[in-house]
Amino acid sequence: MPRYLRNLQLPINPEQPQILHIDLNSCFATVEQQARPMLRGRPLGVTNRLTKNACVVAASYEAKAQGVKVGMSFSEAKLHCPDLIMVETDPPKYHYVYKKLVKIMRSYSPNIGMKSIDEGIIDFHDTRQNINQRPLAVIGHEIKQRLRDDVGCWMKCNVGIAPNRFLAKTAASLHKPDGLDIITYKNLRRTLEGMKLTDLTGIAERNQARLNAAGIYTPLQFLDAPSELLVRKVFGSICGEDWHKRLRGWEVDNMEFSTKTIGRQFVMDDYNASEEKVRNRLAHLCESTGLKLRYKGFCARGISIYVQYKTGDAWHSRKAFRSTFYTTPEIFRRALLLFNQHPRHDHIVMLSVSCYLLEPSTANQMSILEEVNKERLLTEAVDELNRLYGNYTVTFANSLGADKQIKQKIPFGTTRYFELLCNRA
Amino acid sequence: MDQANIINKDVNIVAYYFKNNARHLRCFPKRMEWEGKRVDFTETGLVHPTQKGRRMIHVFDMTDGSADYRLEFDAQALSWTLVAITDTQYAPVSTQFAPSY
Repeated sequence: MPRYLRNLQLPINPEQPQILHIDLNSCFATVEQQARPMLRGRPLGVTNRLTKNACVVAASYEAKAQGVKVGMSFSEAKLHCPDLIMVETDPPKYHYVYKKLVKIMRSYSPNIGMKSIDEGIIDFHDTRQNINQRPLAVIGHEIKQRLRDDVGCWMKCNVGIAPNRFLAKTAASLHKPDGLDIITYKNLRRTLEGMKLTDLTGIAERNQARLNAAGIYTPLQFLDAPSELLVRKVFGSICGEDWHKRLRGWEVDNMEFSTKTIGRQFVMDDYNASEEKVRNRLAHLCESTGLKLRYKGFCARGISIYVQYKTGDAWHSRKAFRSTFYTTPEIFRRALLLFNQHPRHDHIVMLSVSCYLLEPSTANQMSILEEVNKERLLTEAVDELNRLYGNYTVTFANSLGADKQIKQKIPFGTTRYFELLCNRA
Repeated sequence: MDQANIINKDVNIVAYYFKNNARHLRCFPKRMEWEGKRVDFTETGLVHPTQKGRRMIHVFDMTDGSADYRLEFDAQALSWTLVAITDTQYAPVSTQFAPSY
């Protein structure tokens, strides 16, 4: 942007709010309380594994009121809340609620977007007139009621309405649980007045320190800061300009990101695992990665391995190949090639495999090499069997037994593989 | 820690109740007989479908007021399985965050 334009202060977006943000409150914990009436009104934590060191991935409001926070270990959470009940995650339940939420949202506008399992956006720009003419607050209350009717009486959600995605999310976090708030150009300043910098999504300790260094201590000062200052002094990049627009209600987050990597990681079930056991887990991770790769219709040219040791040290390696690959044996062969180079000075506690340099699948293209074709046909046959009888019914011999340890958990952040992951054996 | 007792046994559902939800008539188990015991369900928590391979399984989370029961209905074999019972004694209920209607 030219310098003379940057110096101009962008006005606050005067448009009537057209973005509705829906956020399910403590999603996994609320769904568990909905499913099991005995847990309602009690402090509840949801974890991926029922062990002492497992961390809380979701806490009910009753647990949060007693100081339990997401990310705490079970033993730490128990110190804050002795009556805490921990349950293991159950992805099919969350998938069901997710689908119900998407169905409700679709009935208002075709222009919807799911930010994660429990967050969604409805964009009311260009919707039908009979919907668009109703106040969005009425639609927000209607969505809350429909969620209760379709899923269950314990379900609660926050609704935020604003001119852009960022302010709509901010509005949804103002009165938890079960709130509905609207931010417009009229009440923007009043809303930001009562907030801290870290209350804004995307501003954590580091960004807060950057802003403080430039003399910005409150969201209101952040709002009033000129774009030039944010670009040059605070963020040192175009991010400064994005923040300048975002806070003023102009849309900058309406972006779709393509898939760049596909992979899987696992924190070892045994911190003193033998090399053989680690290879068994690695084989399973490769199988899982291959499954995702083929599900999305991709093949990859690069693979990377990340290993973390008991001491806290980490090692990683990556390699790009000339040929593309997508079958499980091919992924495992290439992963092993890198894995064999890892320094053997301690036990491995975390292992990760990911494929990059993704391209549309070449599965329809026959190879001139008979061996390659055989491997591809075998992979197709195994995939078909697993579709029929559930994932990992027919499995790689190297990964035998690993699926009992590496259970499929909730895909945080993305919901791209939900259908695939919920197909149990 | 919440430990469910895994049962995984076929059971008989001897009574059902029906609910007209969003213009769809839906059916829920009301009474279960299992190993000579009779359990009357008082509330349905969540009913959600899941897949075992290509088979459609409907999972019913039910309660009789003193324990939670997880039942599975196999839509292909038309059979009911009691998957687990959780009857841990919990701390008293708080009404602070109950939804307002």
